[in-house]
Amino acid sequence: MTAGTGLGRVLVVDDEMHLRLYIAAVFETAGYETAMARDGEEGFRKALEWKPDLVSLDLMMPNEGGIRLFQRLKADRELKTAGVLVVSAIGGEAFRHSLALVRSGMNGKDGGMLPDVDGYVEKPPSPEALLSEAGRILAARGAGTGENIKEA
Amino acid sequence: MSAPRKILLVDDEEGIRKVLGLSLADRGHEVHTAGNAEQALALFRELLPPIVLTDIKMPGMDGLALLQAIKAEALVLGRDVEVILITGHGDIDQAIQGIKLDATDFVTKPISDDALDIALSRASERLELRQAIREHTEELERLVEQKTRELIAAERLAAVGQTVAGLSHAIKNLASGLEGSIFLLGKGLELDRRTYLDQGWEMLKANVEKIKDLSLEMLRYARPEALRPALCDPALPARQVAELLGAKAQAAGVALTLAHPPDMALALLDAEALHRALMNLVGNALDACQAAGFGPEAPGGRVLLTVEAQPEGGVRYSVNDNGSGLDEEARSRLFTAFFSTKGEGGSGLGLMTTKKIAEAHGGSVAVTSEIGLGTTFSIVIPGRNGLNL
Repeated sequence: MTAGTGLGRVLVVDDEMHLRLYIAAVFETAGYETAMARDGEEGFRKALEWKPDLVSLDLMMPNEGGIRLFQRLKADRELKTAGVLVVSAIGGEAFRHSLALVRSGMNGKDGGMLPDVDGYVEKPPSPEALLSEAGRILAARGAGTGENIKEA
Repeated sequence: MSAPRKILLVDDEEGIRKVLGLSLADRGHEVHTAGNAEQALALFRELLPPIVLTDIKMPGMDGLALLQAIKAEALVLGRDVEVILITGHGDIDQAIQGIKLDATDFVTKPISDDALDIALSRASERLELRQAIREHTEELERLVEQKTRELIAAERLAAVGQTVAGLSHAIKNLASGLEGSIFLLGKGLELDRRTYLDQGWEMLKANVEKIKDLSLEMLRYARPEALRPALCDPALPARQVAELLGAKAQAAGVALTLAHPPDMALALLDAEALHRALMNLVGNALDACQAAGFGPEAPGGRVLLTVEAQPEGGVRYSVNDNGSGLDEEARSRLFTAFFSTKGEGGSGLGLMTTKKIAEAHGGSVAVTSEIGLGTTFSIVIPGRNGLNL
């Protein structure tokens, strides 16, 4: 884990080591704090310990897949406020479609409707795309926190 | 009135030829005449008239014999011909026999205009009907052929499309790696950070290695599998693979076992090609065990490599594992180029190559699998039915 300059904490979850290092370096050099995990299980554990502001998530991973981790994050009372940025080789449209399928299949389970992901970057991810999506998500999340409190 | 046609008129009586000939010409037909059956047959071959009007009673070859000869001739030439018989009084039996021999109609002497018109229009109708049926059949055949061609083209395109999509995915992953290397090296230089430089450098090397591997595998796949078969112990390639991968299996917490009957009969096989095929299957089985969670700290993985004799000198190789198993979707796409269940780890070409090797031996690859329980791949090579060289 690395110390940043206070922009926020990003947890990078990807099964491929190179990609993990690369994405983490992109966030780190831009001033974020970063941590890394290699699959969904480790990702969830680190998220619990470290309370990231944003999770950069690969979807196709062995063991625990990305969608399952996304579900678990959104089902957790504390972690559900973390932004989720999906980084995947699956094209954006195909990804939304499969997410919609998962969502329709789990209505009412695991704490209700699965929300949409907060952002999406297609692989190969460019540093610019990663940073602009992350910035957008965190800005929106900052604005959205108040609503969450109101709801509660 | 029927459409004007070429008509051959045959009668031994010159008077009838003249009168009837004029009458037919008056209806607009092109009339040729013959005084006997032999002459008529020669003229028929030369002119191929669609309608022949012939007297039954003629010296020498009669009208019924001419009818049969002309029908036979027309059949050989693939032409349509309608034969109308001319009969005298009391020839009704022969007329009926003529109809049985596929004459169109008969007209009785003295020939009335009406009877002639009816016979001619019937002949015309039959000609047109046959023509229509033939055109329809040809059109159908053409349609079937066209649709078949379109289907084959579509299937080919789909196969190419799948291959291109898979290849594009593989290249995307490589591009991700290279983009990452460039970023890390750039930042390493910019910030003078040794860690980034090291990481970027390693990443670059690994990705160049991956590109080389991918292109080699593609080449190997694209090359037709030219077997070099020789009489050999069918268990040999399996023994080699078990030895080569034994250490790797152990390190992965997997018990790799080889089973084969002692002293197997020699078989005509390309042992080297089968070695590659079995390396692929056993390698996959080990990966499946790893994916199921077996490892150095969690032993219990099992891979069983079996060699069995088949009837008439055939051989069956099976690789059974208790790994993660394949779902139905994966099973249906297993033999598609660039499809891989291993994420970044697989090229999606291994099983394709394995299948090609089995097929080059005149054999096949089969798979049974259950999620969470394991998978069995079998290569079955039939005995004595010849190599597919």
